[in-house]
Amino acid sequence: MRDLDANLPSVASRWLRGAPQWLLRVRWTTPAAIALVLAGPWLLDTYTLNILIRALFVAIVALTVDVLWGFSGTLTFGQSAFFGIGAYGLAIVFTQFGFGPWQVLLALGAAVGVAAAVAGFVGWLSFYPGSTPLYVSVISLVLPIVVVQLLYSGGAFTGSSSGLVGFETFDLSLEGWFLVAGFAMIAVLATTSIMVSSDAGRMLSAMRDNDERCTYLGINTSLIRIWLLVATGVAAALAGFGYVAFSGVAAPENAGFIFGTQLVIMVALGGRGSLAGAVVGAIVIEVASAYLSSSLPFIWELIVGVTFVVVIVVLPGGLFGIFRTFGSWLRGKHPRASGRDAAGIAIETRQEAVAIPDPDAVVVEVENVSKHFGSLSVLSDVSFTARRGELVSIVGPNGAGKTTLIRCLADGRERSEGQVRIGGRSIERLPPDQVVRLGLGRKFQAASVFETLRVADCLRIARSRRDKPSFLDVSSVLRLPPAARAVAESSGLAARLDEEARFLSHGLKQALELAMVLALEPQVLLLDEPTAGLTRVERQAFASVLRELVVRERLCVLIIEHDLDFVRQISSRILLLHQGQVALDGPVADVVNNPLIREIYTGNHQSKRAKDAPP
Amino acid sequence: MIPALELTNLTSGYGSSPVIQDISLQIAPGEILALVGKNGMGKTSLLKTILSFLPAWSGHVHLNGKDTTKTLPFRKRELGLAYAPQEKALFQDLSVRDNLRLGLAGDREFELSLVDVESWFPVLTSRLFQRAGTLSGGEQKMLIVARGLIARPRLFLLDEVTEGLQPSVVDRLADVLATTRHQRGTAMLIVEQHLPFALGLADRFAALKRGEIVESGPVEHNTAERIDEHMRL
Amino acid sequence: MVTLVLDVVTTAAILFIVSAGLLIVFGVMKIINFAHAAFITVGAYAALVASRLGLPSVLAPALAFVIGGLIGAAAERVVVQWLYSRPLDAILATWGLSIVIGQLVTLAFGRGVQFVPAPISGTESILGEEYSMYRLLMVAAATVIAILFTCVLNGTRLGLSTRAVIMNETLAQSLGIDSSRVRLVTFGLGCGLAAIAGALITPLASVDPNMGLAWLISAFMLVMISGGSLLTLGLSSLVLGGLQVVVSTFVSPILGGLTIAVVAAVALRLRPEGFARA
Repeated sequence: MRDLDANLPSVASRWLRGAPQWLLRVRWTTPAAIALVLAGPWLLDTYTLNILIRALFVAIVALTVDVLWGFSGTLTFGQSAFFGIGAYGLAIVFTQFGFGPWQVLLALGAAVGVAAAVAGFVGWLSFYPGSTPLYVSVISLVLPIVVVQLLYSGGAFTGSSSGLVGFETFDLSLEGWFLVAGFAMIAVLATTSIMVSSDAGRMLSAMRDNDERCTYLGINTSLIRIWLLVATGVAAALAGFGYVAFSGVAAPENAGFIFGTQLVIMVALGGRGSLAGAVVGAIVIEVASAYLSSSLPFIWELIVGVTFVVVIVVLPGGLFGIFRTFGSWLRGKHPRASGRDAAGIAIETRQEAVAIPDPDAVVVEVENVSKHFGSLSVLSDVSFTARRGELVSIVGPNGAGKTTLIRCLADGRERSEGQVRIGGRSIERLPPDQVVRLGLGRKFQAASVFETLRVADCLRIARSRRDKPSFLDVSSVLRLPPAARAVAESSGLAARLDEEARFLSHGLKQALELAMVLALEPQVLLLDEPTAGLTRVERQAFASVLRELVVRERLCVLIIEHDLDFVRQISSRILLLHQGQVALDGPVADVVNNPLIREIYTGNHQSKRAKDAPP
Repeated sequence: MIPALELTNLTSGYGSSPVIQDISLQIAPGEILALVGKNGMGKTSLLKTILSFLPAWSGHVHLNGKDTTKTLPFRKRELGLAYAPQEKALFQDLSVRDNLRLGLAGDREFELSLVDVESWFPVLTSRLFQRAGTLSGGEQKMLIVARGLIARPRLFLLDEVTEGLQPSVVDRLADVLATTRHQRGTAMLIVEQHLPFALGLADRFAALKRGEIVESGPVEHNTAERIDEHMRL
Repeated sequence: MVTLVLDVVTTAAILFIVSAGLLIVFGVMKIINFAHAAFITVGAYAALVASRLGLPSVLAPALAFVIGGLIGAAAERVVVQWLYSRPLDAILATWGLSIVIGQLVTLAFGRGVQFVPAPISGTESILGEEYSMYRLLMVAAATVIAILFTCVLNGTRLGLSTRAVIMNETLAQSLGIDSSRVRLVTFGLGCGLAAIAGALITPLASVDPNMGLAWLISAFMLVMISGGSLLTLGLSSLVLGGLQVVVSTFVSPILGGLTIAVVAAVALRLRPEGFARA
C-alpha cells in the first residue's frame, strides 16, 4: 500500500499529531479500504459477497506468502498447509464437540498451537547455516503433501478425501461475514505494512538482499527466519479458521500443494514485495476464477498460466511493479526508498565512551591453523598473534591462502585444525554471527551491502545487535559509534543517507560496508583487498581512516593488500604467506628488504613443497 | 601486416569500477608479448576482456583484423584464439584424453594431434586415461598448454602458466612454446610474474599497473632490472 | 517375499524412468523443471494417440520422445533460457508452463480418464510367484535408458560438451563450446525423456490431464538427493523406492506415499549437497 500512497495532507497530519508515529504511516488506502468494506453489503449481490468473503480470507494467506517471498526472499509453496491446519482445527473440534464458547477457544488454540509447532519444526528443518533457497522451497513443497496425506488417512476424524462438512458453526449473516472478513484482512494488511516498513522490518529485505552480510553483522538469520515462519504460519492458520467458519466445509484441497502454488501465482501477478499487490492479486484471481471457471473453464486457467509465465519472465515485479516503475518515472529519475520520508535523518554519536582496559592487549591468537580440501592443503600450521593498535598486512602471491586465512578467523567451522582466539576467547566451531559477538568485524572483498536498502537502513541494521530496532516506528535518528560516524561523514555518505545503496558508486559502497562493520564496534577488523577499484583520492582517504582507527580507537586491523606502497604506508607489521605457510612475519622494513619476498614474487623461489612434488 | 591482436583504447571492469583503462597494444603474427605486473593490476581482467567474458566498456578488440569486441566468447576459438587460464583451467574429473579432445572443435584430427602432444610432453600421452585432477601440478600445466596448442591457434593467451612449478618444468614449457612459435608462427600474450621465463620468451614487454600500461618496449638485456620496480610485491 | 522383492525392483525402475529426464535438466542447468509432470502427461497422450492410430506399440515411446522433445526445446527458447540466473523464478515459470500444457491437453482431449492397453499383458512365473509382465518390462526399459544415456554422455562429442558445460561453463565456452546450444539440446532431451516415461507408465495407470503431477514430487526429491548423477539416481530410486514399498505393504499405503518425500527431506537436511559423491 505504501507504493501508491501520497503523504497525508498537512491539515490532517496536524490533526493527527498526537497519534503515535507508526499510526501515521497508515495512509489513505486503509480508510479507503474500510469504506469499501462498509459499503460492500449495500452494493453487491449475494453471490459476489459470498465469493468476496472467501477471497478476503485467501488474501490474508497471500499476504503471508508475500512477506515470506517478496520481503524475506523465501519462495514457499507451503502456506496452504497452515491454512489447512487452521481450517481443520475448527472443523475437527466443532465436529467432535459441537459448537459453543469453549469449543471456539479450543479450536482457536488448536489452530494456532498446531500451526506454530509445525512452523517451528519446518523452520528448524529449512533454515540452518548454509541451507540453500532451493532446499527451503523443497521443504515447503513437501509440507502440504504430507499434511494432505495425513488428512486422507484420518478416516472419519478428518473426513478423509471428502473432508468435513455439516458441523454447526458461527451464525452470522452474509453481511456480517463480509465485515468480519474485510476487517480481518485490513487489520492484517495494516499490521504487516507497518511492521515490514519499520526499522526492524527492514531486516527482512536485508536478509533477502544479502544473508551472508547479515550473518557477519552478528545477526542470527536462521532464527529470525524461523520466527517469521511461525508468525506467518499462525496468520495463515487464522485465515483458514475464518474461511471454514464461514463456508462450513473443510476439504483436503484447502491444505494442498495446488492451493500453495495458486497463492504464489496470486502474489507474483499482483507484485511480490508489494502488500497491496498481493491482496489485489488474490482478490482478482479468486473472484475472476469463480465467475470464469464456469463459463470458460479451461480457457481461464490457460489465460492464468500464460499470464503467470509472462509475468515471471518479463515482469518479475508483477502488476504493482509496473505501477512502481511508472510512479518513479513520473517523479523523476532517482527512485527513493518507497514512500518513506526522504529527509530528516540525524546521525547521533553513541556517547558512552568505553574505556579500553588494555590498549595493547593481544586480541588475535592463531595457533597451528590448517585447512585442507581433501588431500589439497591450503593452509598449513599457521600461527601468529596480533595486538590492539597494530595494523598487520597479509601479503603473498595468488593462491597463498590469504582469503582462506581470513575465513578461518571469521567462521569457526572453516578451519580443519588448530585454534583461534579473538579477544582471548576461543572461536571453537562457532558460526560467523557468534564469532562477530566476540568482537570481530569482517569486510568482504567485493563491497557487500544491502542493495535495495537506504544507506541509513544499512547502517541501522548493522547496529541492530546493540540497539534493538523498533517493530513499529521508523526512527529519524541514527546512533553510530564515533568510528562509524567518522567514516560516514568523511566519505560523504552522511549526506546521502536516504539513497538506496545500489545507486552508490563503487567507492561509496566500500565506505558504507566499512562503516557498517565499524558500527559493530569490533576490536578486530578484517579487510580483504579493501582498496581494489578505488581511485587514488579514495585510497588516500582510506589510508588516513585506517590510521585513525588503529591509533585512536586502538583497533587491531588485519588487511589483505597487494599494493606495496600502500602496505608500507599503513602497516605496523607484514605477514607474508606462501603456499599456505607463514614465510615471513615482522616489521615492514625487515620484510620488504628480505630477498625471500622478491624470490617468491618473481617465481624464483622454490618452496619445499614444489621440490617434493612428482615431476 | 595485419596484427594477430590489436587492442585500441580498451576499458572494462566490474560493476561500476574500471579494472583496465584505455589499453592499446598490438601483437604481430608470430610475436610474443610479455605482460608483467603485480597481482591485482588487471592482467587477468585484460585477458577476460579479450575473450569477451568481461564486456568492453569502450574501445575495440581486433583478432587478425576482425573486430571481435562484441563476439561471444565461444566464437573466439573459431577465430584462432586459444586461452590457458590461471585458475580452474582443467576439467578435473575428465580424463587427460577428454581434456585434450576439448581443445579441438571435432574429433576427426584428434589422433593425429596426439603425435604433437607426444613430441611436446610425452608424459601426457602415457597418461591419457588418467583423470586430469590426479596429475601433478606440473603435468596439469603441461596439459593446459598442450590443449591450447593442438588447436594450432594464431594467438595463444597464457595466464601464469609457470605458477608454482619447478625449474625443469618451466624450462620444458619455455622450450615447447618457443619451438611452436618458430614452427607455426603462433603469436602469444604471456601474462607472468616469473620474469626470467617471460622475458626469455618474449620479443616485447608491457608493464601493467592499476589497469594501465605504464611501460612497454622491446625486451633487452636490462629489461628485468627496469621493470623490477613494477614487480616488487 | 519374492513378490516384495519384485515390487521393490520394479518400483525403483519406474521411479528411475520417471526421474531421469528431470535429473538431466537439473544436472546441466541447475534448475528444476517443474513442467516435468506436464511432459510426462504429454508422453502419455502421445501413447494414447499412437494406440488409436494403430501404430505398433514399440513406436509409442519414440513418438512421445519426439513430441516431448520438440515442445521442450521450444519451451527452452521461449521461456527457460531467460531464467538460468534466477533458479527460483525458473521453478515458477516452468510451473506456469505446466499449467499451460495441462490446459492445452485438456482442450484437445477432454478432462476424462482414458486407457491405453499394455503391449504385453499377462504374468510370468518367477520362483513360483506370478508377476506382471509389463512391470518386469519396466526394469528392462530402465536399464536401456540408463545405458543409452551413459553412452551418449560418455561416448559422443555432444556428451563430452555437455559434461564440460556441467563441470565448468566458462572454461567450456573458452574452448569454443556454445553452452546455450548445449542447454537447448539438454532441455529437449530431458523433456523427451519425461515423455518416454509417460508413454511407458500409461499401461500401468490411466491417462488424464493431471496424471504427471502424482510423480512430480517423488521425481523431484529423488533428483535433489542424487545430486545430479545417474548412478546415484539409480541407487536412491532403489533405496527410497524400496522403503516406499515396504512401508506401503507393512504399515499403510498412504504413509508409503509419503516415504520418499519425508525421508529425502530429512536426508537433505543432514547432507545438503546430495549423495553424488557418497
